[in-house]
Amino acid sequence: MKSSSVLLTSMLVQMKQTFSRNMFKFTLFVGPFLTTIILGEMYRHSTADNFVAYVVLGSGLWSLWNCIAFSSAGDIHRERYSNTLSIIFSAPADFRLILLGKIFGNTVLSMGSFFLSIFYATLLYRHPIIVNNWPLLIAALALAIVAFIIMSIFIAYLLTLSRKTTIYMNCLEIPFALICGFVFPIENLPQGVQYFSWIFPPTWAVRLLRYSVTETAYGFWENFIPLVITMAVFAVLAAWLYRIIFRQSKILGTLDMA
Amino acid sequence: MSVIEVKDLVRDYVIGEGLFNKKKKVVHAVKGISFSVEKGEIFGLLGQNGAGKTTTIKMLITMLAPTSGICKVLGYDTFGQEKMIRNRINFVFGGEYGLYRRLSARDNLKYFANLYKMPRKERDERVEELLALVGLTDRADTRVETFSKGMTQRVQIARGLINSPEVLFMDEPTIGLDPLGAEMLRETILEVNSKGTTVLLTTHNMYEADELCGRIAIIKEGELLALDTPAAIKGRLTPRKAKPAVQEEITLEDAYIQLVKGGDDA
Repeated sequence: MKSSSVLLTSMLVQMKQTFSRNMFKFTLFVGPFLTTIILGEMYRHSTADNFVAYVVLGSGLWSLWNCIAFSSAGDIHRERYSNTLSIIFSAPADFRLILLGKIFGNTVLSMGSFFLSIFYATLLYRHPIIVNNWPLLIAALALAIVAFIIMSIFIAYLLTLSRKTTIYMNCLEIPFALICGFVFPIENLPQGVQYFSWIFPPTWAVRLLRYSVTETAYGFWENFIPLVITMAVFAVLAAWLYRIIFRQSKILGTLDMA
Repeated sequence: MSVIEVKDLVRDYVIGEGLFNKKKKVVHAVKGISFSVEKGEIFGLLGQNGAGKTTTIKMLITMLAPTSGICKVLGYDTFGQEKMIRNRINFVFGGEYGLYRRLSARDNLKYFANLYKMPRKERDERVEELLALVGLTDRADTRVETFSKGMTQRVQIARGLINSPEVLFMDEPTIGLDPLGAEMLRETILEVNSKGTTVLLTTHNMYEADELCGRIAIIKEGELLALDTPAAIKGRLTPRKAKPAVQEEITLEDAYIQLVKGGDDA
């Protein structure tokens, strides 16, 4: 069986497992509704551009991030508790492929939350959806998903090393959404925090998405180049991190709860 | 030929104690044990809870790094040469964990077979064969979370055999099983062993160890107390030490209790 099959079956198993959890269904269907209301009320009297950029895209991205990051981090926790983490880690198949398959599975399901957010926003607030460059919006969305996947891999590797998965998972959700500018421009943050925002690929992906909506907010290349660079840096870091966790998790004995 | 070679094996855990100013504490789980297991053997590893049995198995199945000493399976180091070993071994942990409980038994087995990179046709045949072996063909498409403890354990065993391993590690596989389930498991172990699979088994059931194992190692607090055949270990229990009521028939349990309690002449 080829590596692609390991990837595909891990993805399908993940989707089956995840979708059978009521908490995930809540995160997928109800979460976007609540996020849309919060952001919709915040931007009720704002411009049409802002509505699309921060309510429609903002709630979509926030929901997408919640689903991907929470599921990926939560899965490490669940797999550790059910003693399957040690089994998949000790299997002949490459652990990286298994984990990537799981994240792909979460991403496919999480896309539902993104589109639901858009649906809720248009249904509840009936604002016109004005997008200046639809092809760019689709391309930027694809890049944003890749950026989220890279971040999820990075986080999942880090969480393999520690048993305190739930603490880190909860610490990540909202700060990350704020720092990366999902719901308001990062320019509203203190300058020192903005430097921190620039490290993460989703920050640039979000700006690129906003550019596709307004074409005035930010420039294309000013966001595309940093996005590609930060994605490459995190991908290299994740590859390096894997080499460390592969050794360290066996030295520290963190693969199971016993 | 030794398929498992353990020499002066040590494993320490560093744990943090205290709420704020955490102090590091080193726990010596395995303290320099040595043994080897020959091809085709059923080898028992006995000891109290916390004796170091599971830690030893985890090092042998490439899940945990030894602190020091030699730990080899099929001639390869279990830390550093994992890739040479993983396809040729498998393991079963006791209890209800180690499966995707929201998936069916068949889906679990198919997925784990995929992780062993089995071709689809071979995988499907093997899954059906194993479901029949553990008597779960009729319930193959039912979610594991609805299974009894015994049925879950049977799926675990099928998972452990999915790649037809040369060496099978079993950590308390009969824990929580009813007598019939335990008997079925013992028969399965003997069957796979008769086909050439080497088995390393930990158990608290002395009858089981006596019936199945060719040789036994008894460990206490990470140290090896005895390593011999069940008959030889029982033979060490002198009539003076055996309870009067059982002098006629000394069991492995009598010998084990004496050894673990500190009977130095066992």
